Amino acid sequence: MTINLEIIDSSYIYDPIQIEDLKTKELVPKMVTRRRLTRAAKIAIYLASETNFEEGRIVYGNSYAELDSSAKILNSINNKEPISPTIFQNSVNNTAVSYLSMLTKNKHEIMTISSGDNTSLNILKAGAIKALDGDTLLLLVTETLNIEKIEELNNCINFLECGVALKIRVTQENPTMKYKDMKNIENIPLSIIHMLNIAKNVDKKKSNIIEVVL
Amino acid sequence: MIHNIKNKVFITDTASLSCAGNNCDELFTNVCEGNSGVKNNDQYSYDSCPAIGKIQSKNSFYNNLIIQCQKILDNSTLENFNNTLLIIGSSVGGMSLTEDSYFKNSDYKDIDTTKHNINYISEVIKKEFNFYDDISFSTACTSSANALGYAYEVLQKGIYENALVIGVDSLCKTTVGGFLSLGVLSSNPCKPFDKNRDGMNVSEAIACLLLETKAIKNSVEICGVGYSSDAYHMTQPHSDGSTKAMKNALQCANILSNQIDYINTHGTGTIANDEAEANSICNIFTHKPYVSSTKSITGHTLGAAGAIEAIISCKIIQNQIIPKNSFLDEIDNKELNLTVKTIKKNVNYVLSNSFAFGGNNCSLVFGKVI
Repeated sequence: MTINLEIIDSSYIYDPIQIEDLKTKELVPKMVTRRRLTRAAKIAIYLASETNFEEGRIVYGNSYAELDSSAKILNSINNKEPISPTIFQNSVNNTAVSYLSMLTKNKHEIMTISSGDNTSLNILKAGAIKALDGDTLLLLVTETLNIEKIEELNNCINFLECGVALKIRVTQENPTMKYKDMKNIENIPLSIIHMLNIAKNVDKKKSNIIEVVL
Repeated sequence: MIHNIKNKVFITDTASLSCAGNNCDELFTNVCEGNSGVKNNDQYSYDSCPAIGKIQSKNSFYNNLIIQCQKILDNSTLENFNNTLLIIGSSVGGMSLTEDSYFKNSDYKDIDTTKHNINYISEVIKKEFNFYDDISFSTACTSSANALGYAYEVLQKGIYENALVIGVDSLCKTTVGGFLSLGVLSSNPCKPFDKNRDGMNVSEAIACLLLETKAIKNSVEICGVGYSSDAYHMTQPHSDGSTKAMKNALQCANILSNQIDYINTHGTGTIANDEAEANSICNIFTHKPYVSSTKSITGHTLGAAGAIEAIISCKIIQNQIIPKNSFLDEIDNKELNLTVKTIKKNVNYVLSNSFAFGGNNCSLVFGKVI
């Protein structure tokens, strides 16, 4: 079965180490809120803003979750030190998108998928199936791997922070782009690759339709 | 474009392993009789001995995962899982394996990143069984409730033939230590909705449910799912969110609130959760359906909670028995119709709630197959 999705808007960002300008001060004026945000939350908030998505259902995903929070928790346990409650609450896979929902007062359904290298592919599939209900959804994926001593774990990824957002709805129009025609960017986390390739192929002057194969 | 296919969706088989029993029958018997699997344990904390729910088994956790899947296949009419969508709901994935590696040498070098992720659960299962496709959800304590909700959606829309939903989380130092840091772990089996409740019990479980679009003997229907987000706080629940999830589930099931006979609550035993959930229930269900939490027996199995409580909900409908609130001494909110004894009652519809960090809410409606 296939479902065709219209890409209404899109945005992507990546950096070898740390993305510099996420407009966080502008998008999150309250310092008390801003200080609690994880890097993934800041990226999610930025990408949602860039796609002009204000309210509605979101299908979010990541493969490695909140690696910085997990690493700090492991370190605390190892050193027999107390775990920070804030870091613990920021360690779940749905942290970033939860902060986004709080900031935008978005009370709709928000899903988080974590399917390893197939994460963004499964976000597309789940998003397409949910979009059959007729609404516009935001599909969002982030990875934030820029933690202390990451070199002990990482020998294949050159972009430690990255994210993609696609604002989509179901269409009956024919596809204008296909996965097989898309050239992979080398050494980007595979978990974002399907959505990144789509975002990079979007021509904002034309209609952009992708066929999702289920 | 609105999709018009609307299949009925049935739970045709279940299998489970938890601190409260080695199978679904043992689980339900212990829930009904009040035999808690929650015990004090200092294995996961260097300075504390909280009451937690650990599976008692000679097999490894991951071997048990395969055993439960095989049980489903053996009991079902399926020859294999070739046309089955595997849907995992897990909060921590392979975190315990990451911990084992990290604590040996205090460095990351020996950590296998492929085993750290949520996806590792499905990778383990796919080594033994072939599936049509797979997807993993991780929304903290609503993970497997959301997995069930997704299974309901894809089967109702006719996208896949059948789905195997597995709620799974194993105990680890990160979750036990994390909940200790929040000051919400009890030293005793929890007492949800009790005036003197003093917190929750972290626990582990494997809970499998096979969903199909045709009913067989003893099937239970999934009638609807309701999602919502609190959009309020990372850990403090807001009753508006839980109210919306329950109302959405009723609307999806196309039934009225007064048709619900029993509510299996999220009921963790923390002050904040139980208060918000009780307010929501009182707000919607003015006919006072029976209400209980089963977490004093199973503990809070985190990402597996939605699935293990879906199995309990199925057993309630199949046996027409409503379980008691174990260890409930003094009811905090007297507006709730909390069961103090396990009772035989006519049960047509059950609502099961799951709420999570980030204000993620999911309610499921289960119904008797007529």
